[in-house]
Amino acid sequence: MVSVKIATVENLVVRYGSFTALNGLSCEILEGCTGLLGPNGAGKTTLIKTILGFVKPTSGTANVLGMDIHETGAKIRQQVGLMPEQDCHIPGMTAVHFVAYAGELAGMPPAQALRRAHEVLDYCGLGEARYRNVETFSTGMKQRIKLAQALVHGPKLLLLDEPTNGLDPAGREDMLELVKSVSHGKGLNVIVSSHLLPDIERICDRVVVVMKGQLRAQGAIKDLKKIEGQPIDIELRELSSAFVAALQSKGANVMPPKRTTYRILMPGRVEETARVAMEAARETGAQIRGYAEAERSLEDAFLDAIGDVPPPPPQAVPPAQVVPPVGGVA
Amino acid sequence: MASPIADLSYRNYDGPLDPPINRWWAIAKMSMRLSIKKKGFWVWAVMSGYWYLILLAIFYFADQSTQLGNAVGRKNPFFSNIVWKDLFVNGFSVSQLFFLILALLIGAGTIANDNRANALLVYLSKPCTKLDYVMGKWLGIFIPMTIVTAVPTLIFYLYCLMSYRTYGFLSQDPWLILKLLGMVLVPGALHSSLALGVSSMFQQGRLAGATYAGVYFFGVFFTKAMQSIGVMSAMNGSEGPSGTVNSLYYCSIDGIQIALAKILLHTDGSQLIPGQPATPMKLVMPAPSGWIFVPAFFGICALAMLLAWSRIKAVEVVG
Repeated sequence: MVSVKIATVENLVVRYGSFTALNGLSCEILEGCTGLLGPNGAGKTTLIKTILGFVKPTSGTANVLGMDIHETGAKIRQQVGLMPEQDCHIPGMTAVHFVAYAGELAGMPPAQALRRAHEVLDYCGLGEARYRNVETFSTGMKQRIKLAQALVHGPKLLLLDEPTNGLDPAGREDMLELVKSVSHGKGLNVIVSSHLLPDIERICDRVVVVMKGQLRAQGAIKDLKKIEGQPIDIELRELSSAFVAALQSKGANVMPPKRTTYRILMPGRVEETARVAMEAARETGAQIRGYAEAERSLEDAFLDAIGDVPPPPPQAVPPAQVVPPVGGVA
Repeated sequence: MASPIADLSYRNYDGPLDPPINRWWAIAKMSMRLSIKKKGFWVWAVMSGYWYLILLAIFYFADQSTQLGNAVGRKNPFFSNIVWKDLFVNGFSVSQLFFLILALLIGAGTIANDNRANALLVYLSKPCTKLDYVMGKWLGIFIPMTIVTAVPTLIFYLYCLMSYRTYGFLSQDPWLILKLLGMVLVPGALHSSLALGVSSMFQQGRLAGATYAGVYFFGVFFTKAMQSIGVMSAMNGSEGPSGTVNSLYYCSIDGIQIALAKILLHTDGSQLIPGQPATPMKLVMPAPSGWIFVPAFFGICALAMLLAWSRIKAVEVVG
């Protein structure tokens, strides 16, 4: 499937005085929901702020929704919604007026903005609190109102900076559900910046891993989690040394079991590995309880990506339509 | 559980969006809306015109006394001696404290409170520029303050125009209305610029307000000191205060406004109550040089705006 590019960043360098926040970052963001991963201080927020024109890059270019960040900052911001990491609101306003005002600032006619504010507040679960002053909101409600003000003008791209910050487990769950629903099947592209891997894994299709202002990995989460050689996991009813011996006699490499699960690696396609495992089980009478293509956790993939691998030198991203698997990079 | 009748799922907005220009007007409208929601605004706005009410009362009783004395048809000497434009200078001068209170109420916290609530992230993440923000906030203070200044002034002008043409109201200065329209712009322009500049330096509206009030009253004490020097020199037999003392007298937030009013209306002013004799103790400071105070006024406004402009940032830059 051909995916459309939402944003392209090429050799972006951003400096705050002597500190280099982005150091030749190049990446592509495709349509859908993309996670921007990286440890604290990696440059995720700086990238978002640069895309929005808050920070002027020292060098490099970026293109968002087909518009150059150097030339069309205001037009980009009209098509983008930002949910910042920090608490932010406009003092002295009720929720509905705040969200409607955000819509007016984005260019909506006042009547449309007010109507839309009611809709978005309902959607974000703040319908009952729409006439309350935003300053009296709880942390969870403030997160929701930030989402509402970012959504009100119907952006094509939504930038969420640490959307679950400061939320209790239930609030976090609700927020993730909201983001997931808005980013799938609604024609809205989402970039979620976070260092919380479970959150990203739950709502995103792809990730971009940034470390020290440079790209470390990018691609679909399922590709990132793939293990080189495509091993399979076979769960048996109980451990069986005969099964292992049979596999080894067929040329398979069997890793030490975890509980009753063996990880089997063979040259060739995964279907061939599965066929050999089934044969070995039949020959030794081992009872197979489960079968899965082995994959590592996103945490492992992330740690690999930000590990000791030297960062790639700044270079232009090739004009590929689909981001290639990043197993090699990781 | 029954599902809601309304469709509460997310739908994209496909309605009209204005081009990303002139967002300052949306910001100005909202600032004004927030200002007029404050009860204090209305109270102090009405209070700021009190001197004109007192003048109207004096004029009413002066009119009545003329009629009681069977002097109908004859000119009332009370009105004949009035320099009409001085009444507006006096009304303008007396209202200065109320203009300050209004500026504190609607202006002092305008950027400081936004700084506290990180509202700049909301503004600047939308298609608003720093210029839109500063201009919108400035107009949000300027327009209400100008209306508050203009309404009592123009009502009093209309009353005088209808009632006292025979006493030279129109003939003394046919262009008075235009000059008054220029004068009523002064408090709004100065207070909105200064309030924005001071406000941009703080994270708390109250701190910004206290600082602004402090600067104002420091200026008032300074001008009172200059007035005292002028009174002493008048009591010692001089013709009036020296040029330097006279200029320094106007070196305050309200002083510069009164100076501009006098320069615009081309008058030195007169006693507060019409018909009172001038004494050294009730010294009226003459109008200062327009060549100094007009550029000073614009310079102060520009500097204050520049300060606000330089302080407004969407992100904290460190390192």
